[in-house]
Amino acid sequence: MSDRVAIVGIAQTAFSPKRAEANYAELAYEVIERVLKDTGLDMARDIDNSISCSHDIWDGQTISDIGITDVIGGHLRNEEKMAMDGSTAVYYGAIGILSGEFRCTLLLAHTKMSQTNRNIVNNDAFDPIYTRLLGFDYTSAAALQARRYMHAYGITEEHTAAVVRKNLGNAVDNPRAHNRGRLSMDEILRSPFVSDPIRSMDVAPDTDGAVAVVLASGERAADITDTPVWIRGMGTCYDAHYLGDRDLAGCMALERAAARAYGMAGITDPRREIDVVELGEEFSYQELLWTEGLGICGRGEGGKLVASGVTGRNGELPVNPSGGLLSGVPANVMGLNRVAEAALQVMGKAGGCQVPGVKCAVAQGHSGFCGQHHCVVVLGADGRRSR
Amino acid sequence: MSHESAEQELIRIPITVDVPYRFAAGNYMSRFLIELRDNGKFFGIRCPSCGRVQLPPRIVCAPCHVRNEEWVELGLEGTLTAFTVMYLPLTDPTTGEPHEPPFTYGSVRLDGADSNLDHIVHLGDEYDSAWVGMRVRVVLRPREERIGDLSDIIHFEPLKGQEKPGK
Amino acid sequence: MKRKVAIIGGGQTRHAARRHDVNQVELVNEAVRAALADAKMTIDEIDAVLLGNMEFFEGCHMTDCWLADGIGAYGKPGLKITTGGTVGATIVCAGAHHVASGLFDKVLCIGFEKQEEGDTGAILSGVAHPLFGRSMAGAAVGYFAMMGSSYMAAWGAKEEHSAMVAVKARQNARKNRYAHLKLDIGIQDVLNSRMLAYPIRMLDMCPASNGACAMILSDEKTARDRCARPVWIRAMDTAHNEQFEISWRDVLDRRPKFSTTCASRIYRKLGVADPAAYFDVFEVYEPATWAELQWYEDLGLCAPGQGFRLVEEGKTGIDGPMPVNPSGGVLSTNCIGASAMLRVWEAALQIRGDAGGHQVPKEVRRALTTGYGGTNWTVMTALSRDPED
Repeated sequence: MSDRVAIVGIAQTAFSPKRAEANYAELAYEVIERVLKDTGLDMARDIDNSISCSHDIWDGQTISDIGITDVIGGHLRNEEKMAMDGSTAVYYGAIGILSGEFRCTLLLAHTKMSQTNRNIVNNDAFDPIYTRLLGFDYTSAAALQARRYMHAYGITEEHTAAVVRKNLGNAVDNPRAHNRGRLSMDEILRSPFVSDPIRSMDVAPDTDGAVAVVLASGERAADITDTPVWIRGMGTCYDAHYLGDRDLAGCMALERAAARAYGMAGITDPRREIDVVELGEEFSYQELLWTEGLGICGRGEGGKLVASGVTGRNGELPVNPSGGLLSGVPANVMGLNRVAEAALQVMGKAGGCQVPGVKCAVAQGHSGFCGQHHCVVVLGADGRRSR
Repeated sequence: MSHESAEQELIRIPITVDVPYRFAAGNYMSRFLIELRDNGKFFGIRCPSCGRVQLPPRIVCAPCHVRNEEWVELGLEGTLTAFTVMYLPLTDPTTGEPHEPPFTYGSVRLDGADSNLDHIVHLGDEYDSAWVGMRVRVVLRPREERIGDLSDIIHFEPLKGQEKPGK
Repeated sequence: MKRKVAIIGGGQTRHAARRHDVNQVELVNEAVRAALADAKMTIDEIDAVLLGNMEFFEGCHMTDCWLADGIGAYGKPGLKITTGGTVGATIVCAGAHHVASGLFDKVLCIGFEKQEEGDTGAILSGVAHPLFGRSMAGAAVGYFAMMGSSYMAAWGAKEEHSAMVAVKARQNARKNRYAHLKLDIGIQDVLNSRMLAYPIRMLDMCPASNGACAMILSDEKTARDRCARPVWIRAMDTAHNEQFEISWRDVLDRRPKFSTTCASRIYRKLGVADPAAYFDVFEVYEPATWAELQWYEDLGLCAPGQGFRLVEEGKTGIDGPMPVNPSGGVLSTNCIGASAMLRVWEAALQIRGDAGGHQVPKEVRRALTTGYGGTNWTVMTALSRDPED
């Protein structure tokens, strides 16, 4: 029985706009094979259960995990699928280990955005009675939120462009990223509008890829790795569904998810106690809004925060040193990649993106348009939890 | 809470969800489909650990958790392990249209394979004359019509000279 | 598990072919309210909300997000799992993990399907690989039809045996006020019903139902304080199965399979030597009659090939020594995302003595439930009146 859960292995594909040669099972197996090899774990002997993240509609497969049951070790064994952002797989996997049912769990998220049409898939997330017929997709919904948020607090397009510049610049040092470069503010502000105020450079690009992570209980972790990354806290929360029912200039669900995660981890002053954040900025304005929800700065201060340089790679509290989602991470894989990048920071294995001296990292992902559901995971070099 | 009128109109909104996909066959199935298209051959893949020959070929043997490597050519004849006569015009999700019933389809174990392949069994007017254990042969489209898809198989047909075992 | 987990309440909708009067949000809300009423709780007391559903069936992406308002998830932790036909039971397992972890005391688990709002047949055909089998469009009926032809050829069972299962199910359903197909039928009615895919006739197959089921799981202290008759989850197990190898159709296939593997693991966890003696009632997931016969064999209630004898001899009837599906089963109600959860809930009702008209007329201490879905997947749960038994 365990009171602690650690991340003991990580493998990620290179993220690319299109992996035409591999079907998604082969893509998934790349990272599964690698993470098992790197950790020396054997599927049959060591992995008690598998949790995958995928969606029927992205995969074009009814019960999408049918497509990967064989590669994920699900045959005649325990395997489940969550159709939510990959961060929630970490949360759910940890709960399984904390319950005492499992000691070692394999997590996987995969999506090949290139095989279908993002706008049509996104549109299907809107309810069929009122909003779907308006032709929404995540980008146009996000545009409504961005406009509301910018209006409420005087966030400017220079603020959102600063996020793009920072993240794509950080991504230059991330060998897995495909969208990267040292851009000028001018270039970013000249990119065409997709849905005003969101420009094409403000949108995380279509990407194919997969991420695998292995979780282990406290007792097992030390056998598997010298650098376990402890899950010190985690939390999830749902907001209301309809955009009109939410305060679009805020993120209640993220605040509550973060509060639960910080409460478990014993964090009372996020700005001081957290060393690095990897969050899910599917659109550039979301980085600003999510830093507020995570308590890194006050309500409405997201713009000032990025302008201050505090969240730059050399700043006091780097946000998305990996390049974030804007550097190209597939839908649904997003949150698992955030957790993976945050864990790599704690392990000291983030390579060119490494922030020095990371003891505590926070990862965040979201599901549903405009972040209706959020998941926050606090990771640390030591496993202490307050409850 | 009472309703104002038992006759209240209940609105139902018709929507068609039409999502386009371009599926990558991947390394293993691509080779299988190319052999089918170009050479009219069926290939399975053998697990190095348990030895079972899997159809279609795939990257991992699921019970053994090891990579499959050894390609095995299969026969063009096989045995019907299960079948049914379909009377329902169910929608084919790849076309949005139904096949025309009644038609027989079954699960065929091609000689050399440990897996089954589902396809139509052509019995003409005697669409209910199939039996478990019937020997069948695959009938392929001519080479110039094959595109590298299971529709390159027209159907299975029974080998001549068999009789259904007595009741 | 680290903490004991009890079922302290639940509810279901009256399952029906048509529910034009409710949208999906309202449908699940009915089951949620019923469960809260049964547990004498308010939604504010619930610590997490877990939803299970087949996302393609209603053509809705991110179903839990739309339904959040109706399931009480606003402002609360929660998640959604989508493993197909087994999902209702997977969500119960997820709920049990949540409670056992020590992080949550009261968890609401929900499964539902509004089957009429989608093309079930087309989507079930989407279970097959897009490049290998999908265009056959056999759906579930084709699959179980093949199982039927294989079963009869292997063991000499007749179409009448399938009809016996169909009659048992619908006559049991007549005693279950929530069931969808309550039919006063006899063997001949089944044999006269329209042939769908040989040998499956209309009455041999499950319906497509609109319905929802919700259950509330809690820790031991809450159960003792708040519930007069908690039902304890004693063990759970899951076995999935790779695609392409759907061996249940070919009943002579001797390779290890999902059903026997999962059963033997759950029996080992509890030390079960003779399941027919250990469990007092069974709720199995049988989309078609032949599947129920196969479950008898795979659960070890009889030897291989003898399943049809059990139903012939009336052993699995509601007043028999090993009652199977007193609720009417999936053959009488199939709202896919709820169906596996309904097996657990119906088993819990039997243990509580609350099944009303379809209560089995003997003492019920322990029950076993199975789910079915995917490409031969199952989730099994073992429930008991007593947390140590």
